[in-house]
Amino acid sequence: MTPTHGTRGRMRGELVASLAILVVIAVLPAIVTNEYWRGVIIVSMYFAMLAAAWNLLAGYTGQFSLAPATFGMIGAYATGLLAYHAGAGALAGIPAAIVVAGLIGFILARVVMRLRGPYLALTTLSFAEIMRLVTSNSIDITRGDLGLSVPGLFNSRIAWYYLMIAVLAAVQLGLYFLLRSPAGLYLRAIRDDEVAAAGRGVKIVRWKTYAFALSAAISGLAGALYGHFAQFVSPELGLLGQTGIIISMVVIGGLGTLVGPIGGAFLIYVASEILRDFGGYQLIVFALLVILFARLFREGLWGLLRLAWQHVAARAVKGASK
Amino acid sequence: MTDAPYLAIDGVAIAFGGLKAVDRVSFTIPRGELVGLIGPNGSGKTTLINIISGYLKPDEGELRLEGERIDGLRPEALAERGVLRTFQLTRVFPRMSVLDNLMVAGCALGLPHETAEQRAIELLNDLALARLKDEDAGHLSGGQMKLLEFGACFMVPPKIALLDEPFAAVHPTMKEIMAGFIRRRHAAGQTFLLVSHDMPVIVELCPRTVCMNAGAVIADGDTRSVLTRPVVIEAYLGEAAAA
Repeated sequence: MTPTHGTRGRMRGELVASLAILVVIAVLPAIVTNEYWRGVIIVSMYFAMLAAAWNLLAGYTGQFSLAPATFGMIGAYATGLLAYHAGAGALAGIPAAIVVAGLIGFILARVVMRLRGPYLALTTLSFAEIMRLVTSNSIDITRGDLGLSVPGLFNSRIAWYYLMIAVLAAVQLGLYFLLRSPAGLYLRAIRDDEVAAAGRGVKIVRWKTYAFALSAAISGLAGALYGHFAQFVSPELGLLGQTGIIISMVVIGGLGTLVGPIGGAFLIYVASEILRDFGGYQLIVFALLVILFARLFREGLWGLLRLAWQHVAARAVKGASK
Repeated sequence: MTDAPYLAIDGVAIAFGGLKAVDRVSFTIPRGELVGLIGPNGSGKTTLINIISGYLKPDEGELRLEGERIDGLRPEALAERGVLRTFQLTRVFPRMSVLDNLMVAGCALGLPHETAEQRAIELLNDLALARLKDEDAGHLSGGQMKLLEFGACFMVPPKIALLDEPFAAVHPTMKEIMAGFIRRRHAAGQTFLLVSHDMPVIVELCPRTVCMNAGAVIADGDTRSVLTRPVVIEAYLGEAAAA
């Protein structure tokens, strides 16, 4: 029996909405012919992957990590270093990036998993800064702030465009099936009440660790793809500001929903490009929006849309019954 | 049913700073017995439940379930061994549906997904919550949450169900649903330790009652006789009432 309502029905609706966004993006090249703007949309898909990965942790498992951009950077450097030192191509580098980021995520998770709330956030923040500084200062290996040139994968930007859509759709489908499975039940139970979850037999440390490692692996994949797309990686990928952008995408789009990170990433990144001329002021606007949504509307724009839809549906039913 | 100790609590003690919350408590619960645990507020009942269920590690003493040492094990390990509990302050997963709340326990304790779903629906029918299965648990009333949390203990028949104030602030209709469920399960051989301040329910459901005061066991035996002992009356009502 598969219920059509409740948590699982809602999740299916979110998946459909997120795939609908990707369908819209897939037809956009018919209108958006400018290569620069196509590039903007490709980068927004990189952020959408990072946001989806962070949402798995913060939105579905209740773990507030401040290192999502760092795992993206780790993925980008894993493939970048393999290319630079061993001449490996993207087909070897991208899987390696997933494994390296996932493995580092797993090890970090084992260290921090008994920490909660601000202690977890502070520990992951320290990790993020250590990783960025190590990358920046290991000049012999990483070339430091000069960054690394990374080989491309395609010459065609449109090929990148559709590859990113396909990978993002695969990530979304993967997350959907994960969250519908018993593992998803455990993660959401941990998010809602860790004490109760333990009392009902959920192995807290094990599932939190898996979620952390998977989130890191997805971020590593995103970072590796970005590296090959941009053909350049630098420690700037791991700046705390990048993490701030990822968090704002999720919070504004809808924390703990499948569609929120995707919608939020496109909205924020495309808006930030449009508002580029306003310099740092755009960040103030996004920060204010984050405060507003976190304070007043935890389910972000997706939650607002859902409420509006319910309101319209209720009015339609009322109208029909008159 | 046998009289051999099923759950054995032997000299269990825990102190918080200078306060002895549980002071060398010893008693046993045979398989299939429904034992009431009573005592005034602050007598150590919930602390003892927290120790048995793995949320607190005792400073001294031993706990054995079917002869196996279980003190010091984590709550999830104890749940796996069949020690399941409800909480005095109800704990459900508020952003998950009622059905998923039960599925968590079922799947975590080893039921295949389909079986867990079937079992959860049966339980929701038993507890008159079936019409709410797709609601978020956070939208339920306090009594409905108590029923849901109670149900989660029985997704997989526990070896022992530790029920901490399941009837507190619950509507009489829901209380009767829960009491009826306990009666049926007890008749089928389920072992319970039931903490309650509701004396009529304790008298009706529990053939045996243990009374605690100031962290120690002050009476243990047939429920009606325990409730008439001066030491129990004194613990609840003061020395003058006992005289």
